[in-house]
Amino acid sequence: MAKQFLDPHDVPQIEGTEGWERMYPYYYQFSTDDKERNEYESSQLWYYDGLHYPEPHCPFDLIWDEAWYLALSQYNSRIFMVPPAKGIDHRIVNGHVYITPIGIADPKEIESRIPLFMKRAGYYYQNWDKIYGDWVEKTKVLIEELEAVEFKNLPEMEDESVVFEHRGMGSGYDLCVKYDELINMGFKVWQYHFEMLNLGYAAYVTFINTANQFFPDIPMATLTKMVSGIDVVMYRPDSELIKLAKLALELKLESDLNGQTSFAALKQELEGSDAGQKWLAAFEEARYPWFHISTGTGWFHHNKSWNDDLDVPLASIKMHIEALQAGKDPSRPTEKLIEERDRIVEGYLDLFQNADDRKAFEEALGIARKVFPYVENHLFYVEHWFHSVFWNKMRDLSAVLVDGGMINDVEDIWYLNRFDIKVLIDDMVRAWATGIVPAGRNKWPQEIEWRKGVMAKFREWTPPPALGVPPEVVTEPFSIVLWGVTTDVLKRWLSSLDVAGGDVTELFGSPGSSGVVEGKARVIKKVEDLALLQAGEILVAPTTSPSWAPAFTKIAGAITDVGGPMCHAAIVCREYGLPTVVGTGNGTSVIKTGDIIKIDGDSGLVNIIK
Amino acid sequence: MANLEEKLTLWYTELKGENFPLVGKKNANLGEMLKAGIPISPGFAITIHANDIFIRESGVKADLEELIANECRETTPENIAKLSQFAMAAIEKAPLPKALEEHILNDYHKLCEICDVTNLPVAVRSSGAVSMPGQMETYLNIRGDKDLIDYIRKCWASSYCVEALTYRINRELGVLFNIGVGIPKMVNSRVSGVIFTINPLNGDPSKISIDASYGLGEAVVSGLVTPDTYLIDKITLDPVKIHKGSKEVECVYRTGSSDIIEQEVDEARRQAQALTPEELRQLCITSKQIEKYYGKAYDIEFGIDADLKFPDNIIILQVRPESIWNKKKAEKKTTEPADAMNMILNQLIKGVKFS
Repeated sequence: MAKQFLDPHDVPQIEGTEGWERMYPYYYQFSTDDKERNEYESSQLWYYDGLHYPEPHCPFDLIWDEAWYLALSQYNSRIFMVPPAKGIDHRIVNGHVYITPIGIADPKEIESRIPLFMKRAGYYYQNWDKIYGDWVEKTKVLIEELEAVEFKNLPEMEDESVVFEHRGMGSGYDLCVKYDELINMGFKVWQYHFEMLNLGYAAYVTFINTANQFFPDIPMATLTKMVSGIDVVMYRPDSELIKLAKLALELKLESDLNGQTSFAALKQELEGSDAGQKWLAAFEEARYPWFHISTGTGWFHHNKSWNDDLDVPLASIKMHIEALQAGKDPSRPTEKLIEERDRIVEGYLDLFQNADDRKAFEEALGIARKVFPYVENHLFYVEHWFHSVFWNKMRDLSAVLVDGGMINDVEDIWYLNRFDIKVLIDDMVRAWATGIVPAGRNKWPQEIEWRKGVMAKFREWTPPPALGVPPEVVTEPFSIVLWGVTTDVLKRWLSSLDVAGGDVTELFGSPGSSGVVEGKARVIKKVEDLALLQAGEILVAPTTSPSWAPAFTKIAGAITDVGGPMCHAAIVCREYGLPTVVGTGNGTSVIKTGDIIKIDGDSGLVNIIK
Repeated sequence: MANLEEKLTLWYTELKGENFPLVGKKNANLGEMLKAGIPISPGFAITIHANDIFIRESGVKADLEELIANECRETTPENIAKLSQFAMAAIEKAPLPKALEEHILNDYHKLCEICDVTNLPVAVRSSGAVSMPGQMETYLNIRGDKDLIDYIRKCWASSYCVEALTYRINRELGVLFNIGVGIPKMVNSRVSGVIFTINPLNGDPSKISIDASYGLGEAVVSGLVTPDTYLIDKITLDPVKIHKGSKEVECVYRTGSSDIIEQEVDEARRQAQALTPEELRQLCITSKQIEKYYGKAYDIEFGIDADLKFPDNIIILQVRPESIWNKKKAEKKTTEPADAMNMILNQLIKGVKFS
């Protein structure tokens, strides 16, 4: 078996992409001219962040990676002084992000950080509920500020209010500032994102590990059931749809809904009746904020939200109506879940024969329950709500750039990174102010065309799962729990280096939800295609977000490209009791619709039978 | 009610766990299980007292005592072999006292009536008041009066096999040793196996571990096949790990006969799980009940009867306390004070070990 992965400096260039490095910030490159950095890079294990990124990054989309590169790292290393941890370092190779956790090796340094950590993190754990309450409030305020940002085309002549209210500033300057503010808000929300998340995960991981110490192999599903919150924000969008489905039945509108696939057409039809208007009003009320849920993970500009395409929630409402008419209640059985949670916890507590062990388990469970609402709910506020609004603000800005003659199409902006855009705006406003043509008006459209070609080549490239030198044993909690990178997984990746090409018949992922199932695969890359699903099929998807929930009453099992045992897709599937394997890396490209596949949600193995 | 000590036979329904000095541990356990509402195969026990009457009245006891006092005074391997040979031969050919034989056959006929089968196939199982695992015989699929009496004698004789004698002599339990015999209806096992109400590999009390394969239990117990292994979460009853065994052969009775033959399992059945999810679940529920009733971890043999319908097809064949982890004092696993902040700190410093 190979002992190490390819050195990060030796990854071959893809032909025709030479110069791709300029698409991303220079600090994302593996170094070429700094001996110290070079040696450090070669000595680390870098793994491909398939959890968040099933595809290469358009230059602008890297903003969220930059955001958590800074935020997660700084909270560990400089704010909470997590004793053995510095940050997580990031690089980009052929458009794909690789990360490596940085530890502290010196035992004395670890020792000296302990009292600092206890004091600082202790404050957060002790005041968790209050801090979380404040967190929700300030995040909502930030989202309001984001909503208020407006981008307007540069005027031929400034409005006279600039003069008579002696504003002392013009639109060119405004545009520069607003762009900076927008970007800063993006970084700010990610500062918030990690304010509580590292500590939340640390507490949750402690519970998982404590439970495993007493009860080896305790299923992740059981652990989740023990801590699972009842009033979970991430389930709210789907429950709004269920309410709308029930209301449609109550108002006898089901045939109107069933007859339409386009919300615009439906709206026109419903406006003609009182019942229709009543339903539309309820629909409108549910949209803010709940339809800011993304149909993807929210990490990419093409992850549309329900508000961006109302046909998506409409299709889901129709699936719920179908279920209701068949006598199934698609609602989350809250009372049953509480009852089950209490029964499981009691059952486990009864197994203890020793009071100290029992106390340790209860302590760990207690703190895990305390942090869990944040761990589950932050996703809605940041990755879904904030991101969905943010992408559209960027589109508004892009329209201004199109108007200014700098780029050809609104959707071209994603091919520029955040620094490119800043320079481009500076160029544009100066030319506008001066009354000449901008210097970059030919350069940027050409550059964008070239970058589109590079991105197409990046998408065809299969990133190696890891680069560099693996550690003897992986113990870093986040790598294990979130990314599923364990010592065993690294061994499997290394042994796969020895296998020459050929047809893939086996895929490995993380066990997401218990059970074994065999059936026909249905590869669905976009939520809009969910209607193609036939009952009893196994869903193969890049990832699932709550907007995929209506599918779960229909399918026999699920596989996703991205996600670890604690990712949202895994949690949802456990609630539906569906065998699930998450984080296979490339399930949607290897498996074809119609393949007979077998998935083992206990071992994480997927077999393609034929 | 007549004094229990003087009874020749006792129905399982009459027995309690504390009656083991009368009928042996296996039999007493079965009675106890019925009391706990655990499904077992119907039947009765021949008491240790009956065994005593038999060897006394047949003269075997006197002959044996003489042999021990004279020729076989020293406990050499040769003498043990000699004693064994003598005792087994004498017991197997000695006639039963008439009253005892009638009494046993009377109960057997009653059992045939209860199950509505003439010449009902039964098992003849040894049941000592002291555990001597695997050293005495059990005979399966015995039918008809004559065979039943013959095999009861064989069963009694088996407590004088060399292994059992050596075991007793080494532990100073005496050469003469009466045992109980159990006569349950044969379970026509489509699937059989063994359950531990803990994970026997690490003593984890939150799991139930089940080994199961096709046919009679022999194949699993004797390690003839690699069975399916199921590790189940005891609280939620969700499967934690399922490993399908190769299950190449199964033990079944030769048609119309008492002897067991091995036959190949076809590919489709090998590939399938021996237990259905419903059976698995029901077995777990029953196992939990057994553990709860006895208050400690148990080792359970079960069969799934081919002739009966779920859930009546689940028959518990035998139970005994798990022998390794029950003896170990439950060791405390926490060393540090149980305080959430401390635990989180330790977690971060030590890292995560599970995979």
